This record gives sequence, C-alpha cells and structure tokens, in this order.
Amino acid sequence: MSGPTDTRVCTREPFDRRIARAVQAVTGRALGPHQTAIVRIGFSLTWLVFLLRELPHRHEMYGPDGPWSWELASRLIADNRAFTVLMWSDGRVWFEFVYGLAVLSAALLLVGWHTRAVSVVFMVGVLSLQNRSVFLGDGGDNVLHLAAIYLVLTRCGQVWSLDARRAAREAARDAVRRAAGETVGDGRRDVVGPLLWTVLGGFLLATTWFSDVTGEWWLPVLLWVLWLGHGLWWLACRLAPGEPRTLLDVLANLTHNAALVVIMAEVCLIYATAGWYKIQGSRWQDGTALYYPLHLDYFSPWPELSELLGSSGIMVLLLTYGTVIVQIAFPFTLFHRKVKNVLLVAMMLEHAGIAVLLGLPVFSLAMISADAVFLPTVFLVALGARAARGRDRLLGRRSAGVLPEQRRTGEEQGPRTLVG
Amino acid sequence: MDADVERDIGADVETGVGTGVGAVAAADSAADAVELSKGPNTAVQGAQGGPAGPAGSGIMALSLPYQVVAAVALAVAGVFVCVHLAMVFLHVAPSNTLTKRHGQAVDDWIYPEFEQNWKLFAPNPLQQNVSVEVRAEVVTAGDGRRTTGWIDLTAQDAAAIRHNPLPSHTQQNELRRAVDFYLNSHSDDDSPNGTRGHLSEEYMRRIAMLRLDGLASLEGADVRRVQLRAVTRPVPAPRWSTENNDVTPSYRDLPWWKVTDADRPDGASRSRTDAAGQSRGEAGR
Repeated sequence: MSGPTDTRVCTREPFDRRIARAVQAVTGRALGPHQTAIVRIGFSLTWLVFLLRELPHRHEMYGPDGPWSWELASRLIADNRAFTVLMWSDGRVWFEFVYGLAVLSAALLLVGWHTRAVSVVFMVGVLSLQNRSVFLGDGGDNVLHLAAIYLVLTRCGQVWSLDARRAAREAARDAVRRAAGETVGDGRRDVVGPLLWTVLGGFLLATTWFSDVTGEWWLPVLLWVLWLGHGLWWLACRLAPGEPRTLLDVLANLTHNAALVVIMAEVCLIYATAGWYKIQGSRWQDGTALYYPLHLDYFSPWPELSELLGSSGIMVLLLTYGTVIVQIAFPFTLFHRKVKNVLLVAMMLEHAGIAVLLGLPVFSLAMISADAVFLPTVFLVALGARAARGRDRLLGRRSAGVLPEQRRTGEEQGPRTLVG
Repeated sequence: MDADVERDIGADVETGVGTGVGAVAAADSAADAVELSKGPNTAVQGAQGGPAGPAGSGIMALSLPYQVVAAVALAVAGVFVCVHLAMVFLHVAPSNTLTKRHGQAVDDWIYPEFEQNWKLFAPNPLQQNVSVEVRAEVVTAGDGRRTTGWIDLTAQDAAAIRHNPLPSHTQQNELRRAVDFYLNSHSDDDSPNGTRGHLSEEYMRRIAMLRLDGLASLEGADVRRVQLRAVTRPVPAPRWSTENNDVTPSYRDLPWWKVTDADRPDGASRSRTDAAGQSRGEAGR
C-alpha cells in the first residue's frame, strides 16, 4: 500500500525502514475505512433497490416455477457447481425465505448492523439468487456478485455503521467509568452477536449437510473459517485480550487490506477490459459506436432523448471517443491524485447518464459503487459530515458530535495514495 | 479544503474500530509463504521501536513467535492476491500464449464464482435489434386446430421498457439473454450442443408458454405446438452518416416444438400460484 506519497516523504529513510513501515501499516490498520464503507453502502443499496423492484417478478426470476425452472437450474448447477442454497429445496416457502433473507441482509448491511456477520449472509443471498438464474444477469449483477464476495473479507463497518456507533458509545461509557475510578470490565453485554453466531452456525451445518448441491467446496470452507474466526475473536476479546487478540486483529487487517487491493484492481480491470476491447472495434474507431445502443429496443427507454442525442454526429463522436479515452486512461491516472479524481467524476457522470439513457439504473448504481472505492477520503469525510447534518436537521436533533468520534493517535501519514 | 479538515482526515484514517475478524485462508501454500516471509520479517526486526502505526496494534506490537505467524499470514495474503489477480487478468485478457497453454488452470480458478465479462458494447456495440416471435398451434373447443399468427414477444418487452425509469430484468434480460443462450448453444441447423443446448430449448419453450399464457386472445385455447423465430433488423445508419446500410430484416426459423406439460408455466408436478399469474400479467403489459 505504500505509494508515491510515502516515497516522497521518506526519501531519506532507508529502504528496510520503509518496508517495515509498510508492513506495520498493512498489519496495524484496516486501510481506507471510508472507502470500504461507501462500497458497502453502495452495493447493499444496489441489491436492496434491485430486490425490492423485482419483488413482483421474483417468482418469474428465481422461483421454482419460473421459466428457468428449479429443475432446469439443478441440471445446470450439477454441471457448473455454482453456489446456491436454493437447490436445497424446490418448495415455495424456502424460496420466499431466501428472498426475504436477501432483502433483510441488504438492509442490515446498508446500515452496518453486525457488519461482519451480515456481510456473509449478504454474500450468500447474492450468490444464491444470481447463481440460481444465471441467464437473467447483466454487467451490474456480475460486479455485484464479485463485490459481495470481496466485501466479506473487509472490515467495511468501521465508519458510517451502527457497529461504529455502538463502538463509540461503548468507548465513551468506558471513559466515563474510568474517570469515575471504576474498573472497566470487557464483558460487554452483547447478546445479539453470540446469538447471531449460533444461528449462523446452524445454517453452516445445513450447508455442510447439503454440500453436494451447494456448489464448489471452497465456499463452505470459507464460511467455516469465517465462522470459527468470529468465535475465536469473541473468545480472544474476553479471555486473551493481549497478544492473541492483537494477532487476530493483525490477521483481520491483513485480510481486509488484501481484499481492498483486489477490489481496486478489479475496478481497474473492468475499465481496462472495457476500454482496450473497444479500441479494436470499427464503430468505436469511426466515432459512431454510441449511436447504436441508443437505437436498440432494449436500451432506449426514452426514444425522444436517444433521438436527440443521436441526432448530432459531432456529439456522438465526442462521447464515443471520450468514453474510450476515460476507460483506458483510468488505471494509469491512479498515480496522480488530481487527474484520477477528475476521471472518477467523469466516469460516475457517464454511469449516471447510462442509468437514464440506456435504462440501466441498477447496473449504473453497481458500477458507481465500485468506482467509489477510489473516492478521496477528504471528499468522503465531508460527504459524511454533510449527510449527518442533513439527518439531524431532518430529525430535528441538535448537531453535536454526530459522527462516531474517531480516536486520534496523532498519526498523519495515512493511506493517501490509491485510496486517499 | 482547510487545514482543520485535513487534520480530521488524518485522524479518521487511523481509526481501527475492531468489529470482528476475518481469518486469512489456511496457509496451504506454506512453501511459498516461508520464502516470502523472510523479507518483511527481517525488515520488521530492523524497525522495532520505530514510530510507525498506532501503539498496541500491528505486527510491531507482537512478540517474535506471533510475529512469525503474522509474517507468514502476510506472505500468504500477498501470494493469494497476486495469484488471484493474475488469474482474473488472464480470464479477461484475449487468448494468448499463457491461456493457450494453461487455460484449464485459469478456468478452474475462475469458474463459477469469479466469472466476469467486461466487454461492454465492445469490440463493437450490437447494431441490430433481434426480436423473438412465436406462433402456436392451438386447439379450441369451437373450431378445432388452428395456427396463430406471429406474436412479437420482444415488442412486449420494448413496450414495458418504454418510459420506464427502472426496467425489470424480466423485461430487459430474460428473453434477450435466453435467445443469446439458445443461439450460442445450437449449430446453424438448430441441433443442440450438449446439455446446455437442451436446457436452452426448454428454457425458450417455457418463456414462450409463459408469455402466451398471458395473452387474452389465446384464452381457453390449448397450445399443442409452438414455433419461434428470431428476426434481425439492422439499426439504420445515422442520418448524418454517409453510410447506407441494408435494413431488410432477416429471419431465422426455429423448428416446431411439441409442448409438453413440463413446458407449461405451472410445470408438471406443481400447482399454479397466484403470484406467478401476477408477474405474468405484468411482463406482458
């Protein structure tokens, strides 16, 4: 994670010291707390909007009696071994339960309630429904599918979550007690966490029981590892708050940072692939490519608007070339903060345009959520403060210390490179 | 942005509210890990006492045995990230020397959960509207056996999408991708390639039956056979362009298919549900 900023600051620092600092950074902190939080919020919102929108169509899309029937799906899944819990039963009740759980997990992940556990349920929901009917998805589903898996490995609830609020309140309560000279017991009276853990353990047993129809072996194994990890963390917090707990913290940070790198690299790959394949196409070369999607029945919900935009050859040329330039350039601009931010804005605006013009709002929301991993911390913090102020005004609360108070450790050399 | 905010951010980035733990995948590539762990581990030794990172966390807050575990985990995570990204890269890259030689290894890693395709409207955007039309041989109580005219199913989708700010996947993707699936899993003379070919046929029949079921004109008629055809209509060249493309539609007739009970929306074994009826109505809106 050490990048250009670090290099500039530490030119006089010996190489091994820089490495050591980098190692300390990736083991000591879960980097990009705001970026991972906005990605979490973005994707959970996308999935929630999608599931609620498709509520009237859910049986046709994923239900046992839909055109892609349970029987057809089970024949395909026997072949491709994709993960889905919907193959456990062809009953209506089970399907409704899974769909409901997917909606619930999306809402809970959005607000960051027991984020680590809920993100796993979220992933199971996304994978189960999408893999059940693979021929319904588009690029938006695809990026959501990947993000759901990667998010499980991140500590995406460090800020802007109920978890963060609870942690801040606990810290404040402990501080008050410490000031009053009382002993601060670490025995937090959180009953929901262990309860959730037990319930999910039951599901995990079921997953293992049904493992021959649930998909490839590694996903259940990952789920078990996560589940045991959570249990271990809980135990370490109570019984071994010293080094074992710190070690688990280090492992969690490492996993988070690795997943963050993967998410960022995935976004780069998306744009690189989209861009480099485009320049090979004759329509992108002659500057007319944009005209064609605007005239496809499936991608022109507002024919008048499409007609207007497509009526100017120069306009189409500029947008066509602009799209290719931005997509190809984006990964390289990561080495320059300002240019990166300009391109990020351009891409988000383009996706907003696609949402309306091509009638792909869910796809666009998913792509914007993925792009958000590159938003600068400055902007995200300001956005968070503004959102908190807006919320307080709405609720008629007095605005004071609304954001969970952050611990200040006096460390200024944050991850201001790729994510900052 | 003023200095105050900058300071706030510095502090924010430091936050590490521990809310849980995600364990690193088991150290099964231990051989690689040991070799890699030498670097960071010795470096850490050299940096002991340095002012890097919040106190009480990170690898520097650990004693040597724990540091070794952390360093191994770091190496495993590093290797894992590199391998995964390399696999994803090879998966999205064009066929090349490496994928020609080790394509199976890449596929084994990627499929099914990490499959991805980002050739969005590339290399060329689709330049034709493909419509699916269906006609049915029905038996009615009154006038016996008759064949309906061609019914444009894609037009139903297009009508549902028009002026709809939030089109459903059932309108935008279901039929569009189903016919793609069919065409990709069949040869030009409509013989299916393997299991997927058979699956796609059944899928097309079930979609067609679902759509026909929602039509008022076929109320009370018993559908015995159906035939589908794909109509390809090139998008006319832009007015401002000097090109002049041929826009006459081309037709591809699929064979007549006998409709079995399994093809009907309610399936062979299950009873029809109200909700399915509802969604059918909306899809055919």
